[in-house]
Amino acid sequence: WASAEFDLAQIRLIVHQDCERRGRQVLFDSKAIRKLDPSEPNAEETKVPPARSGACQINSKASQKESPPTYQYTRPASDVNMLGEMMFGSVAMSYKGSTLKIHHISPPQLMVSKVFSTRHGSSNLQDSFESISQTCPSHTSSIHSNPVDMPGRGHSEDGDSGIARSSLSSLLATPMPSPGSSSSSGCASSYQRRWLRSQATSLQHGPIPRSTEEMFSLSDESCSSNPAMARRRKKIAVSIIISLPEKEEESHSFQEFFFSHFPLFESHMNKLKTAIERAMIVCRRVAEASQRVQVYLCRVMEALGEFMTVWNLYMAPRITEPVWLTMVSQSAERNQLCQRFLKEMSVLMEHGAKTFLSALLTAVLMYHLAWVPTVMPSNHLPIKPVCQKPTSHTVDLLAKSHPYNPLWAQLDLYGALGSPVRVCRTVVVGRRRELVQRVLYILSYFIRCSDLQENAQPQGHTDSPANPCPAQYSNSAPLSERTNETPLIPKSEAAKPPVCTENTNDKTLSANVDGANDAPVSERTSKKAPKSDSAGPSPLPEPTSERLACADPGWEPFGDATDPVGGGLEHILANQSPPVQRVKFTIGSPRESDHDGQRCGRGLHRKLPHRRLADMRRNESSDSSLGDSDEEETASPSQQAYTPATETAREYELPLPCQTESRASVNHFGRSLLGGYCPQYMPDFALHGISSDQRLKQCLMTDLEHTVLLQHPALDEPVAEAVCIVADTDRLCVQVATSQRRVCEPGRLGRDVMVSSLVHTLLTSVLQLHTLNIAADFCVMHLEDRLQEIYFKSCSLAEYLRGQRRVHVKELGLALIESSDLPLLAAVASTHSPYVAQILL
Amino acid sequence: MNALVALCHFCELHGPRTLFCTEAVHPPAPSPPQPGSALLGDREAEREGEGLTMRANSSATQRADMCEGCRSLPVSHPGFVSVDTETGIRFLSHQHPRQAQLFSVVRQACVRSLSCEVCPGREGPIFFGDEQHGFVFSHTFFIKDSLARGFQRWYSIVMVAMDRIYLINSWPFLLRHLKLTIQSLQSTALKVFDSEQGVCPQRAVRMNSAFSPAVFPHQRSGNAARSLPSLTQHPNLWASLHASFSWLLKACGSRLTEKLLEGAPTEDTLVLIERQTEQEEEMNAEGAGGKSESAQCRDFLFGDDGKGEEYCGPNFRSLRHLRQVLGAAEFRQLAWHVLMGNQVIWRGTDRGLIQSAFNVLKTLLPVGCVRVEAYSSQYEEAYRYNFLGLSPDVQIPAHVSSSEFTVLVDVLNVEQGCVHVVCDDDVLSLYQFSISSANTQPVDKGPTLLNKLEVALTNENLSVEVVSHCLLCLKEEWMNKVKVLFKFTKVDGRGRDDTQKVLVLLGATGPGEEDNVRLLKFWMTGLSKTYKSHLMTAVRGVERTLSQ
Repeated sequence: WASAEFDLAQIRLIVHQDCERRGRQVLFDSKAIRKLDPSEPNAEETKVPPARSGACQINSKASQKESPPTYQYTRPASDVNMLGEMMFGSVAMSYKGSTLKIHHISPPQLMVSKVFSTRHGSSNLQDSFESISQTCPSHTSSIHSNPVDMPGRGHSEDGDSGIARSSLSSLLATPMPSPGSSSSSGCASSYQRRWLRSQATSLQHGPIPRSTEEMFSLSDESCSSNPAMARRRKKIAVSIIISLPEKEEESHSFQEFFFSHFPLFESHMNKLKTAIERAMIVCRRVAEASQRVQVYLCRVMEALGEFMTVWNLYMAPRITEPVWLTMVSQSAERNQLCQRFLKEMSVLMEHGAKTFLSALLTAVLMYHLAWVPTVMPSNHLPIKPVCQKPTSHTVDLLAKSHPYNPLWAQLDLYGALGSPVRVCRTVVVGRRRELVQRVLYILSYFIRCSDLQENAQPQGHTDSPANPCPAQYSNSAPLSERTNETPLIPKSEAAKPPVCTENTNDKTLSANVDGANDAPVSERTSKKAPKSDSAGPSPLPEPTSERLACADPGWEPFGDATDPVGGGLEHILANQSPPVQRVKFTIGSPRESDHDGQRCGRGLHRKLPHRRLADMRRNESSDSSLGDSDEEETASPSQQAYTPATETAREYELPLPCQTESRASVNHFGRSLLGGYCPQYMPDFALHGISSDQRLKQCLMTDLEHTVLLQHPALDEPVAEAVCIVADTDRLCVQVATSQRRVCEPGRLGRDVMVSSLVHTLLTSVLQLHTLNIAADFCVMHLEDRLQEIYFKSCSLAEYLRGQRRVHVKELGLALIESSDLPLLAAVASTHSPYVAQILL
Repeated sequence: MNALVALCHFCELHGPRTLFCTEAVHPPAPSPPQPGSALLGDREAEREGEGLTMRANSSATQRADMCEGCRSLPVSHPGFVSVDTETGIRFLSHQHPRQAQLFSVVRQACVRSLSCEVCPGREGPIFFGDEQHGFVFSHTFFIKDSLARGFQRWYSIVMVAMDRIYLINSWPFLLRHLKLTIQSLQSTALKVFDSEQGVCPQRAVRMNSAFSPAVFPHQRSGNAARSLPSLTQHPNLWASLHASFSWLLKACGSRLTEKLLEGAPTEDTLVLIERQTEQEEEMNAEGAGGKSESAQCRDFLFGDDGKGEEYCGPNFRSLRHLRQVLGAAEFRQLAWHVLMGNQVIWRGTDRGLIQSAFNVLKTLLPVGCVRVEAYSSQYEEAYRYNFLGLSPDVQIPAHVSSSEFTVLVDVLNVEQGCVHVVCDDDVLSLYQFSISSANTQPVDKGPTLLNKLEVALTNENLSVEVVSHCLLCLKEEWMNKVKVLFKFTKVDGRGRDDTQKVLVLLGATGPGEEDNVRLLKFWMTGLSKTYKSHLMTAVRGVERTLSQ
């Protein structure tokens, strides 16, 4: 990622408080803190330059011990007031939840702030804490803002914090079509998750707020409901300021990274906020004032140091060619990729790591579950030859009609697909770099997510659709010459028509300003704009009723339950012509539709569960062979092209500007969360390698707990368990550490993995095929087939468990499931049958 | 994208106002919003009205409260719409969103962007928001106006969404394109400003007139309210902005696309697709309609549930049922013949019963291996049908009845009083079954698939559904072995030794090896054409690259 070194000193932390009573105070500013050299413990006082006499000596002499660094709090920088203004806004808000803000300021800096309402403890603690700002030269802002009651939204009243989930479940209960019933479609579950995501963020029925009552705790006790306290509003802002690199290119690349990886930054900010909370609470227990401040500063500085590690993410090496993503994006090089993948795998196996790899793969397949949707059989004819998997048509169409953030879907890398949600990372530890890298490379085939492609936008200025004033306006003649109305430039006051005060002037006005819409000037709009100079209600474009026929009354749910076959079979076109052509139509990706064979339409539109999608499809397809003369066909092609919707208000229809699209795979989560051999452990990667597990041992449990506690900002559901797979290539062992710290002998990170015999035989036979000189891409195909077998077995298990309360392992054996496969199959089953986990746990 | 874009203005007289708003309406289209009432009811809407809220559709007070500067489209203007024909998404532009819920969200965003949030220099991008009111990307900017205080007016373009991650991800994109929009507006307005100043320099006018701050805005009240089209001399500005905003929403939404792969279809699916294709072609050739065949195909793939109910007479409901009726040993024998690819002939009077037996038995095989003639009045050769139903009077040719590759089941009507022992079904007590075959091979060793299946069938704790799932797993497992063997022997043409190695690695050796191999070879005939031709072309492709 990084094109240049990023200077850690470029990060600044400010904690600001806004109190209704006392105005604003700076509670922390990393720029105003100096670390004192402990080797000269007694020198501080003299060393402080006289010019800074105002600086307060927070360093306590009592802390002679070497270990905690001592800090000096100097005068906060002069810009803090301005920054505080930006954090809180010039008008205070009555909203009690947390607010997120990002500012772009100069010199080029990004400021990310989170503003929290405080959860009050007892006030004396609060006061004592403010001694920091009081002992220092006062920078209390004089700005005293009166809260403006912003229009609150319904939910804030009920004070129910469980909205996040209930809003989702109520969505399911709405009469809106739900794709949930299309169980026969291979991608049903991933499809449903995407659909839910789209609905959860839709504005169509008004916003559906997720409640995140994130407060800032100032005390240990749970919120004391003192009404008097509650009325006094106090807010705390935690703000991070990042100086951007000077070079344009570096700055650009950093910003791309920052914005596309914001969920990771946010989770680190949440961590930081928690640490600051703790620091404030802890320091209050310290009786002596100066030492209290020292404790506070120490803790916050430490947390800030932790936060800085997020920048390692920017610098760290990545797997250069993650196998799965590369195969998805560059199918042309598939053969070579398969060869290399198999070669690496067999080299590893030859080194006696067979059991190791089986165990590792068992764990990876069990927790990084995103591979499951990629092997669920589709009911469509593949677009590409069989060996290459079909891309999901339904998801493609969904993304267009029900937009969601595909970047979010890439977080599948963490494997959070099952139920309950488990989040997983894998760390490969080992001193031998080559070996670790080989393992990482192999795992990059099994840890999967969808590939993202970015639509490159043209850089041209004038012809961009974003430009509302194309060239012809730029040389517009002076006003007086262009209009036949009274010039707006007042020669005298009397010449001006008093605007907006009397009805008599309405005519002039609208002709002057709004009537302008009626005059076709731009080529783009002239086609549809009615040519009328009248100022009255403009004649509407002819209302076309054809649209009604098309907007069929029952927008049927995808994969209607009454048609258990799903779209699949009926979708499939009866045709023996080369599959490539036929199917491209079925997918209906309009970009591809021009490649359609001529015979493509037959049977397509008969009773489609995807009826509505098909309707859309037809809209732009002018293929006349569609006409099978069926009642739906009457509403077919051409008519819909530019008909305005029949709504109560018939808006003027304008063509939608379009642009040629070019796509390229991008480095978002998919690639950037697959780390290479890194200098140190990093908690954000879905996969990475390190040489020593020293730091891992220190941080792992906290990191895992943190993941569960604060919930990944990008995930909608609460995380039930955080898991880390640790593969040690030196000792050839695999352990699974979990936030549900169940068993842990001292010195161990987690429990061992039981090798699944399915995985073991899978690996063995793929590699034996390879040894027998079977073509590499066939071996990989076989590997996929075997993964699909695991999926089928998980369906068996789910079917067996349906309606059961207790599991009899012996009977499972009779149901052809070996006990060693049970954990894996249960995990896989939880992605398509949520009840499985409840029974097995 | 699940978002909307709005142009906002800080009016000198009226404060922050929403001028123009473009929203995306996705299919399925909601019922047309009624003016003044929201989808979620008036109660909600009324609660919004804490001081700042105006109703979506212009009330009299609102109109009186607005000047040209705070208004975009006249009340009579219906707004603009553009339809994305690919998805059916419609982009609608009005001065305000039609829905009260959204109205309040946009209003909130507008007020915050122009009077609450602080942006150094007052021009630039800010992101702000919360889960309640949505998240906003806002870009504030000045437009030159020779008549305005300070010769400029303050505007902002806001993009509102509930998905903060998406909005933040889109920051660089939005910034780049909104800058284009803004710069274009600014430069156009600047030209107008310059030319106006050329005609009548305002500074001089103002210097000469008596300066009184209190009356200042009101003095010029007429012009304080110049509209953006007037400031840019762009008569079609709103239409153009609609186009720009609509494009922005669409482009931002489709900026990233996901390429999600799904698994390859199973061989059964492929074969069914191929068969359906063939049938439809035949039908088209004959010009006949009817879907019974394809419906049959579907039934095959997705189990025969419901099929039995159509036929009310005595029938077999499942493999387990068949096994109970025939007896374990007889069932084993019959299933063995089915799996080995031998011809299975049922002869009897009850057509429905025979049909149901075939429906149950064919689930043992991949679709590609099943060729059923449910009931015929004459013998058909094995290569044509491996499941053949015959009426009782049909004679079976001697070469067939003496063949070890045939099994014959005679369904005999039972005279009254004689009850079949294992039968739990009264109706089936009407029949007796006699199985005969010239086969001398043992049927109790293999194939492995049958052994495993029998374990599942025997275990009464497993429901019929679980058994059929197990059977599916077994079939897929063996189909995958078939693929490997096909690749190995037919495509690559490997020798006997290598083939033996493959059999070992496939787990096809050991007890029942002979049966396993026979099964694999038979099932190979059931591979889909698509798959076979792919493997062949892949090899040819490699050869071509090698020869180059």
